[in-house]
Amino acid sequence: MSKPKRLSTGGSRINRTARLSFTFDGKVMSGYAGDTLAAAVMANGQKLFGRSYKYHRPRGVIGLGSEEMNALVGVGAGARHEPNQRATQVELFEGLAAVSQNRFPSLTFDVGAINNTLSRLFPGGFYYKTFMWPKAFWKHIYEPVIRKAAGLGVAPEGRDPDSYEQIHVHADVVVVGGGIAGLAAAEAAAAAGARVIIADENPVLGGIADLEDGTIDGAPQADWAKATAQKLYDAENVHVLARATVVGHWHHNYVMIAERVGDHDPAIPKSGAPRHRLWKARAKQVILATGALERPIAFANNDRPGIMLATAVRAMVQRYAVAPGESGVVFTNNDDAYLTALALKEAGIAVQVVDSRSRADGPLPEKARAAGIAIATGSVISAVKGKLGVEGVRIASYRKGQGRVISERSAACDFIAVSGGFNPAAHLWCHNGGKLTFDEALQSYRPGTHHDAIAAVGAANGTMGLAAIINEARAAGEAAAKAALPKAKAAKLARLKIEEAARRPMEALWFAPASGKYNEGNKHFVDFQHDVTVADLELAQREGYESIEHTKRYTTFGMATDQGKVGNLNGLGAIAEATGKTIPEVGFTTFRPPYTPMSFGAITGSLTKKLFLPVRQTPVFDWHLMKGAVFEPVGQWRRPYTYPRDGEDKHVSIAREILNVRNNVGVLDASTLGKIEVKGPDAGAFLDRIYTNMMSTLKPGRCRYGLTLNELGFIMDDGVVVRFDDERFLVHTTSGGADRIAAWLEEWLQTEWTDYRVFVTPVTEQWAQFAVAGPKARDVIAALKPSFDVSNEALPHMSFVEGTLGALPVRVYRISFSGELSYEIATPANHGRALWDALLAAGAPHGILPYGTEALHVLRAEKGYIVVGDETDGTTTPEDVGLTGLVSKKKADFIGKRSLDQAHLKAPNRKQLVGLYTENPEDVLPDGAHAVAAVKDKPPMTTIGHVTSSYLSPTLGRSIAMALIENGRARLGEMLSFPLDGKVIRAKVVDPVFYDKEGARLNV
Amino acid sequence: MLTLTCPVCGAEGDETDFHAGGQAHIRRPATHDPEHITDQQQADYLFTRINPKGLHFERWRCDRGCGKWFHAARDTVSLEFKAYYGITELPPAEIMAQAKGAWADYFKARQRAEAKAPAKAGAKS
Amino acid sequence: MSDVLANPHFETALARRAAPTGLSFALREMADRGMIDLRGMTTDRKFMAAVKSVLGADLPKVPRTSVAWGDVKMLWLSPDQWLVLCPRAKAPALAADLGKALSGIHSQVTNVSDMRTVLRLEGENLRVTLAKGTSTDLMAAEVKPGFVKRLKFAEVGALLNIVEDEIFELYVFRSQADYVWDFLLATGTTASALKVFGPQTPG
Repeated sequence: MSKPKRLSTGGSRINRTARLSFTFDGKVMSGYAGDTLAAAVMANGQKLFGRSYKYHRPRGVIGLGSEEMNALVGVGAGARHEPNQRATQVELFEGLAAVSQNRFPSLTFDVGAINNTLSRLFPGGFYYKTFMWPKAFWKHIYEPVIRKAAGLGVAPEGRDPDSYEQIHVHADVVVVGGGIAGLAAAEAAAAAGARVIIADENPVLGGIADLEDGTIDGAPQADWAKATAQKLYDAENVHVLARATVVGHWHHNYVMIAERVGDHDPAIPKSGAPRHRLWKARAKQVILATGALERPIAFANNDRPGIMLATAVRAMVQRYAVAPGESGVVFTNNDDAYLTALALKEAGIAVQVVDSRSRADGPLPEKARAAGIAIATGSVISAVKGKLGVEGVRIASYRKGQGRVISERSAACDFIAVSGGFNPAAHLWCHNGGKLTFDEALQSYRPGTHHDAIAAVGAANGTMGLAAIINEARAAGEAAAKAALPKAKAAKLARLKIEEAARRPMEALWFAPASGKYNEGNKHFVDFQHDVTVADLELAQREGYESIEHTKRYTTFGMATDQGKVGNLNGLGAIAEATGKTIPEVGFTTFRPPYTPMSFGAITGSLTKKLFLPVRQTPVFDWHLMKGAVFEPVGQWRRPYTYPRDGEDKHVSIAREILNVRNNVGVLDASTLGKIEVKGPDAGAFLDRIYTNMMSTLKPGRCRYGLTLNELGFIMDDGVVVRFDDERFLVHTTSGGADRIAAWLEEWLQTEWTDYRVFVTPVTEQWAQFAVAGPKARDVIAALKPSFDVSNEALPHMSFVEGTLGALPVRVYRISFSGELSYEIATPANHGRALWDALLAAGAPHGILPYGTEALHVLRAEKGYIVVGDETDGTTTPEDVGLTGLVSKKKADFIGKRSLDQAHLKAPNRKQLVGLYTENPEDVLPDGAHAVAAVKDKPPMTTIGHVTSSYLSPTLGRSIAMALIENGRARLGEMLSFPLDGKVIRAKVVDPVFYDKEGARLNV
Repeated sequence: MLTLTCPVCGAEGDETDFHAGGQAHIRRPATHDPEHITDQQQADYLFTRINPKGLHFERWRCDRGCGKWFHAARDTVSLEFKAYYGITELPPAEIMAQAKGAWADYFKARQRAEAKAPAKAGAKS
Repeated sequence: MSDVLANPHFETALARRAAPTGLSFALREMADRGMIDLRGMTTDRKFMAAVKSVLGADLPKVPRTSVAWGDVKMLWLSPDQWLVLCPRAKAPALAADLGKALSGIHSQVTNVSDMRTVLRLEGENLRVTLAKGTSTDLMAAEVKPGFVKRLKFAEVGALLNIVEDEIFELYVFRSQADYVWDFLLATGTTASALKVFGPQTPG
């Protein structure tokens, strides 16, 4: 068995003056600029690239592009290591380091190969039949072992040092694929005046034009391709994307294109350019020119290193000047593979052809015969000799439908170029509901109908002749431009003289008979990456997996990183033969994006680290940061939770902040709460419909706490409403509800009560707003030269005044969430920091301290005030939380009113808000802890409610909790049991207002 | 990722520029006659929705643009938007005529009711 | 101490951010912008006349257009909503004047000068740079000087105004200014700059 090698002449893609050094599995090798990794490794005499997934069989390169499924390698080191790259797509650069995968300890000797020896124990579907018993083994034995053995590549460690980005783009026409068809379509569309994007996954446009026969205007079609590509690069209205895979097609012609900007040259990402760029393109028209993918033939041991698709062999020879061996067999059922035989002969490599058809008399086979190439018709390969490579084959005589070997002979060879036909690459057609139709001539599926403005052209559409391809593509390009642009002009392209050898029909061959036990089909591979054979598919049929979707999941056929690009049709054909159905009756499985794997970086774009979430900051955020605050997320905001000093436990700082508000004065940044101005002659009437209580009766200069329900009758939000004057109100909302409630108000005004004359303007961010709370709050404000009277008589609890502090305009609301004397002071946001600093300075002699959201929550809990989202869970009514008093009986209508009358919201045994004192005052019940009707040894126990808020209260010197308990208000004094991990905490049901029930401290 | 065109301001955008508001033309019982609503009427208003395979009528808001609500006729199979129309309007006659099943029944009933007593655009107490 | 607010310190959202480097365009915060949110019905002649009497020109009625008059600019936001721009110091008085002229007329005038941060971008290739953050088609014909649109940018709501061909202003909510600034710093580098459509060199 000889090795592959570099030929001394030829190689259209390589630059022999630019030598590159690289390593594969640590071995230093050399290649040329223009090489792919696959070509360069083979040029160095190595054909072994990896070990297969399940059986760990030795594998080599099989394809020429992104459909490659064997030669999967890991490229790069450390945090830049990228697994599962297709060696046929990796562009060689100086210093590239690549490794094979899924082998231990080495590629040549891999212990995993034991799986192959025991392969009869691992047929398709074995995952579902083994590892079931004993149950206890799963966690500690089966799973860890499977995890270690599973997968192909190794994930990189460490943070990705490269950057990624995304960009939106709009085009009249997006052309997917830059081969002959794509170039023709793009040229026509551009000439008609359309804005065109053309994307191709390869570094160079032209598809396989350079590997085909056929002339345009007397020159090889590759010349026309090159010239047309250049025209597109030069055009003003065309954007060419190379190394760019169109990964998916979505609704309304939304197409995503993953561009590999810097994988082929490490200097690019290091310069600060993104490594990958994801184009999010919106197209008026899409043209699919994705070509067709060659399929192999299922014969015994058809997966050995050295067995490649015929077009891939041709590419190796013509593009990279790499001979796969010294003597090859072309095994085919069609005329196209004869181009490979001719290319091999021209390169001085011995070759013979095995053709399963009874006759091969088309122009290409005739040309091969004339060149002295031996052709055996009515024959198939029935056996392959060799394990780490091909050492020889046996060739059997064959008639269509023949299931057994009758006569065979041996032939020496060291590589095989196989071609079983071509499958249109119709994947993108199906992503968004396009239908496929079965083409009898191709024995494959091609695009059928689609409801989007998308057309398929060329081989992707099952159109195979050069002239037909170009005509079809030009027509589609021009039609697309016309459909996209009302003012499209005629494309007016020069007529082309196109000549190409005719092709005689292909004859489908789904199973080549083999000798002896190999004829069982258990080494006739259809999915190379997941090691699925014809025998596996037949087993699935015998076991009753009638649907192709079930067969796919049961056998994992088509589920590998190549998503069945090469193997799907061979599998469907095998199933059809085994079951006596036609292929259309068997069906096909769903194609889903992405077409080929894409990086997470491309999906994430720039939105990493601090760009991951649009975090919102108040005007005083920098101060909180500087003070060492611990933050908590409230919606998208970051609010200070507490301000611990010098490494102290946060419970210490929280307690300090609470007591300081009760005893002195604290200041809290309340800027995040929603503020919405509502104005109009009908503003009062409108707010009456939004809130459960009356707002139209609120007097100017007064504040009123209100609840908003949704139409189901459940509490949605709460907040203080302020009346400025007859027509002007200010609505406060929770921090998380600000945007939602503003939208809610607009919705009702625009869609339901359209006669109301009301305008709504959100002003949350216009105002910085701080709560100054505690017995000394008034003293602090008085020290800042207020333009208004701050006495209790002039500014009582639940009132409002607008004025100035010094030269600063302020709005002052005397409202309290802490139960202490409290003012919320608002000033325009750009002066927020000035106000904050001034409050701290004025408050210093009074012991002012900032307090955070946790202290805020404890203070309000001590007063029994609810927090929407804690005491309410989306199914809580005002009655549930003891706020029936806020539900107006006078109003004919408000949102949620009718639902409150529904039987289930008036049912007995609803959960009601209560307070809890734990038996041991130091026990703090966990949030969400369940009270049970009766404590048992182990679950299940019947829950009667749960804890909604729970804290250690320094004011009361003990723990407090609020809970929603069935019939809670009737249970005052009762002891409830809360079973937790390993213990039971008992707590007494009490009034949820733990402190200053009369509210005396509010009215000073 | 659908695209929509706002009929109020003419802006075209991805669906992420808009907010989907569910089924169109749902009549709120309490707006018109809050004293006489049966439990069944209220339950229908809250929960019963038309779910057609084909032409459907929806509410949308031009969320990131002009902020106005509008109606759209959309095919739930092809996802094509067939028409956009105002938030207080009914669909264009030729689109309404294509409605099937529950939608066809709804529009017939609505036209009958309006022939008897023309509806007002909105209401306030 | 009681004089501490006699001359209150003024600080915009991005006052503490350093001047950016390495970008393919110039970027700075416009701290001196006054903004007034104005709501009213274009079908109300009294409303339109009252506004014109204060601002000096008619409010724009065509979607996504703006009208400039003296040091005032009116940006169309919605059929019944505009953003009126002026020098910051002028905003309180201008809002008061509008309020007075509109007394008795159904309308709403709100000084929102602190609500948004105004970012000015100056450079050649701004449409492409901003396309990294928005799916709104910035190459459409209507996107020319005078254009204004609320849109989604970098996952947040924003407002874009084309001042001149190579001067764009992006308005974002104050709380999200740092985020958007960081987004522009990440996506606007010269290293990641690119042209879309037009002659290219094969790579």
